[in-house]
Amino acid sequence: MNFKVPVSWLRDYLKTDVAAKTLANVLSASGPSVEKIEKVKEDYVFDVEITSNRTDSASVFGLAREANAILSNLGEKSQLANPKGIDLVLDPDTANILNLDVVIRDPKLCPRFTAIIIDNVKIKPSPAVIQNRLKLCGIRPINNIVDITNYIMLEMGQPMHAFDFDKIKGAKMVLRESTEGEKIVTLDKTARKLPKGSIVIEDTERLIDLCGIMGGANSQISKRTKRAVLFVQAYDSKAIRKTTQSLAFRTEAASRFEKGVDLEGIPGALSRAVYLAKSNAGAKIASELIDIYKAKTKSPAINLNPKKLNNYLGEAIHPNLAVKILSLLGFEAKLQNETIDAAPPSWRLDDVADDVDLIEEIARIYGYQNLKSEIPKGDIPISPKDTLEEVIELKRALKFLGLTEVICYSIISQKMLELPETKRTNVVELQNPLTENWQYMRPSLLPSLVEIIGQNQFTRKKLRIFEIAKTYITQGDDLPKQDLQLALAISPGDFFEIKGYLENIAEILGREMKLKPNAKKHPLFLENQSAAVFSGKEQVGIVGILDSKITDYFNIKNAVCALEINLSTLYSLPATAKTYKPIPKYPPVIEDISAIFAKQTPLDEIIQTAKKAGTPLAKNVEVIDVFQNEKLGIDKKSVTLRLTYQKSDGTPTQEEVIETRNKVNTALEKSLLAQIRK
Amino acid sequence: MLTQVQNVLEAAQEAIKTASSQEQLEKNYIDLFGKKGKFTELSKSISKIPSEQKAEFGKSLNQAKQQILAGFEKQKKEILSGGGKQKIDITAPGKRPQIGHLHLVSQAIDEIVDIFKRIGFSLKSYPEVDWDWYAFESLNMPKDHPARDEWETFFVKSKRHATLGNQVLTPHTSNGQVREMKRVKNPPIRMLNISRCYRRQVDVSHTPMFHQFEGMLIDKNVAISNLKGTLDYFARKFFGKERKSRLRPHHFRFTEPSFEVDVTCGVCLGHGCRFCKSGWVELGGAGMVHPNVIKAGGLDPKKYTGFAFGWGVERTIAMRTEIGDIRLLFQNDIRFLEQF
Repeated sequence: MNFKVPVSWLRDYLKTDVAAKTLANVLSASGPSVEKIEKVKEDYVFDVEITSNRTDSASVFGLAREANAILSNLGEKSQLANPKGIDLVLDPDTANILNLDVVIRDPKLCPRFTAIIIDNVKIKPSPAVIQNRLKLCGIRPINNIVDITNYIMLEMGQPMHAFDFDKIKGAKMVLRESTEGEKIVTLDKTARKLPKGSIVIEDTERLIDLCGIMGGANSQISKRTKRAVLFVQAYDSKAIRKTTQSLAFRTEAASRFEKGVDLEGIPGALSRAVYLAKSNAGAKIASELIDIYKAKTKSPAINLNPKKLNNYLGEAIHPNLAVKILSLLGFEAKLQNETIDAAPPSWRLDDVADDVDLIEEIARIYGYQNLKSEIPKGDIPISPKDTLEEVIELKRALKFLGLTEVICYSIISQKMLELPETKRTNVVELQNPLTENWQYMRPSLLPSLVEIIGQNQFTRKKLRIFEIAKTYITQGDDLPKQDLQLALAISPGDFFEIKGYLENIAEILGREMKLKPNAKKHPLFLENQSAAVFSGKEQVGIVGILDSKITDYFNIKNAVCALEINLSTLYSLPATAKTYKPIPKYPPVIEDISAIFAKQTPLDEIIQTAKKAGTPLAKNVEVIDVFQNEKLGIDKKSVTLRLTYQKSDGTPTQEEVIETRNKVNTALEKSLLAQIRK
Repeated sequence: MLTQVQNVLEAAQEAIKTASSQEQLEKNYIDLFGKKGKFTELSKSISKIPSEQKAEFGKSLNQAKQQILAGFEKQKKEILSGGGKQKIDITAPGKRPQIGHLHLVSQAIDEIVDIFKRIGFSLKSYPEVDWDWYAFESLNMPKDHPARDEWETFFVKSKRHATLGNQVLTPHTSNGQVREMKRVKNPPIRMLNISRCYRRQVDVSHTPMFHQFEGMLIDKNVAISNLKGTLDYFARKFFGKERKSRLRPHHFRFTEPSFEVDVTCGVCLGHGCRFCKSGWVELGGAGMVHPNVIKAGGLDPKKYTGFAFGWGVERTIAMRTEIGDIRLLFQNDIRFLEQF
């Protein structure tokens, strides 16, 4: 939380000559950070960031206390002065003593309850200095009594409240847990229906306070108020938090109570409030002090071994210096049997529990800037190469293949999710999405890529993009399957272009990849122009041309060719081993064979048949030409194979070549019914 | 006969001079020196001439051959250099094979990993959808602790696990801390975890998904000074050799002490200017791993200490590239992506 502090107010309690800017710097280096300094007329206002464990310094006095410790350690002249009135003894000023009957149903709800009745109150505007300070802190001045409650909260860090005593029916307060559905209208004129377990105060007729969060409208201070109850409490932080969460309503008081207040500081804050009420509103004390408090058992001192301290710091400091620093911060600290013993002050009880907490206190006041800066020594662990490191290499390779990387949100809308098919199961859904656009975790990267193609199709003639990210699929009650996928899309393009990328990727990854017909139509791809990608027996992905149903949704005019490969699966498979083959000493004989085949005969089958028949002399068989025309007939195609005949001990002879060629021709004729062209 | 040699020589020289390609030159060579080449034929005719003329004929034949071969060499060079006479417009664009682009986030990750690799950190990956226990509870953040509010967390619709709690989208990379300790079992540990993280917030400096990177070192006798050394090293390598880092007190439940990490402003190098005000810009968070977290990781906090640090990758990019609105990073406009 951020907190604004006018420096003039701070100087009421921090007696030092140090300039505002220096003050801000030393606070930031060793305590709460001063994020901004604003000059307002003759004054400076600090915007201070207070971490959630240090609400004790989220007040003018608390910050002064912190600054004083830091400055003192730096050897700067500095002293802490108490706010006026905190030692005021709260004895009645009048003979006519009023009574307030207080019942606390469960002491756990309210660890400390203090209240006092004041009489003779004259409601009017606060003195200018109070009004100005409140305004600088972002609070609107209302009247002298209400302003005191806000002023004390900012100054002492103790949220407080004031009731109009005459509006409390029966002069009775019962502090208890709310029951489900109870109602109260708070000071902001909002009717609030409470959950069970909020802390409330009831008089003899109705609820008058939503404790720790906001007072009730029915008992508020008004222009006509003559008698008031000033009120400083602490509440069970969990109960406050539950209520603010359930009502989605949080005030500054509530956020302080959620983190806990200094129980020992409560009476001082009430005294200070009474002091201000006397001087600003002519008030007189009209009751005995009500202080219901079962003093907390003091937490035992924490022991810190100086050796451990030095290990953390990376250098040795004298234990006496550590003790001195802790004392400056209000700890009861001493060195005993070569151990530092320190009991935290009342305002640090919730925050400091272990020796490492003491180390932090000592180190920050000693000054992080004074510690050395050293690269860690020690052994460098040996650990297996993670997939992510391979991914970095893969991304770089894809870049040099001409592809541009995109990064899309992993959270998608229902529209995007159901683009390929509706009623999807196994999808990871968010319980508390931010908007409709971000509701589900992607089960596939492809729809996002298609969307990007759509967005960019008119800015470039050709788009080539890829993304590597996790996809999410539920696995019963277990964590979802979160596999790393590579998706690639090009547009315009054709099947063999995308297949070419796949073949290059297989080469880059050192894994074998083969295409097989899809077992059934993939919802994203065209049925006849897509294939399943296999590595060994494992299906690792899909490749092909996307169904126009998908591309039409994004008004894409060209074909989109895409592939998606599961890298988690692929990387878990062994890489193909590369073995040495001697480089041939003798030149090969190369010749072409042309033949006519049935149109549906797969080229791979032709190659494999030729290879098998041509072994061992035919070392390589490749297709160099395929054509179809009317002369051949509509169900035929002509294929030209290029065969490389090679031997390790000489150039193949004419006879050997003829023999192998005949074998190949026969095999093609017999098993594939080819008609060899001569 | 000598005239014949002269004729062949002249014809060859003419043919070589006019050859405009390697192929043509090769053809000329075969025409001369092939099995039935003119020069070959001429050499064969030595058997038919009187023996007293043989020596002279052979000599002139040899000279002619040398001249022709030299002509071939010369012309070959001419052809390779494009004639050498034509002046090339060197400012015309080259014929480039297509090169793509890596996303800025990947480039930054690449660089960060490389920097930390050199001091023994290695990259590890952990779930992005993880149990509450790893994301919060094991990190010293008990249920209903107010510190959890700082992480605007997305929850997943799923059955609650009896001991590990709900499933969440990890709002930070620190879920890897305890997972890594449990994986390694015997420190030293030097882990780098870079992952997509998710928080319920969107504005110019926040996107619901972002990348965080986190480093953790667990060993015996690890000191704050080691954290400082590591961060200074990073600041120098990533931002520039004149840059420095500093620690300021902060609070995280899973580290004690906890720090905020600043680096000196790139514009004024720490003197203070209108961009940075104080001379420093905020980078991220760090701290000494809390003993409770070490315990949750199954290690003995009496024996081992360590530090962790982490920050948003997008933030480091914004600090270096002057991209004001980080949402641009995920709009995937090709014209933007191709700039990097």
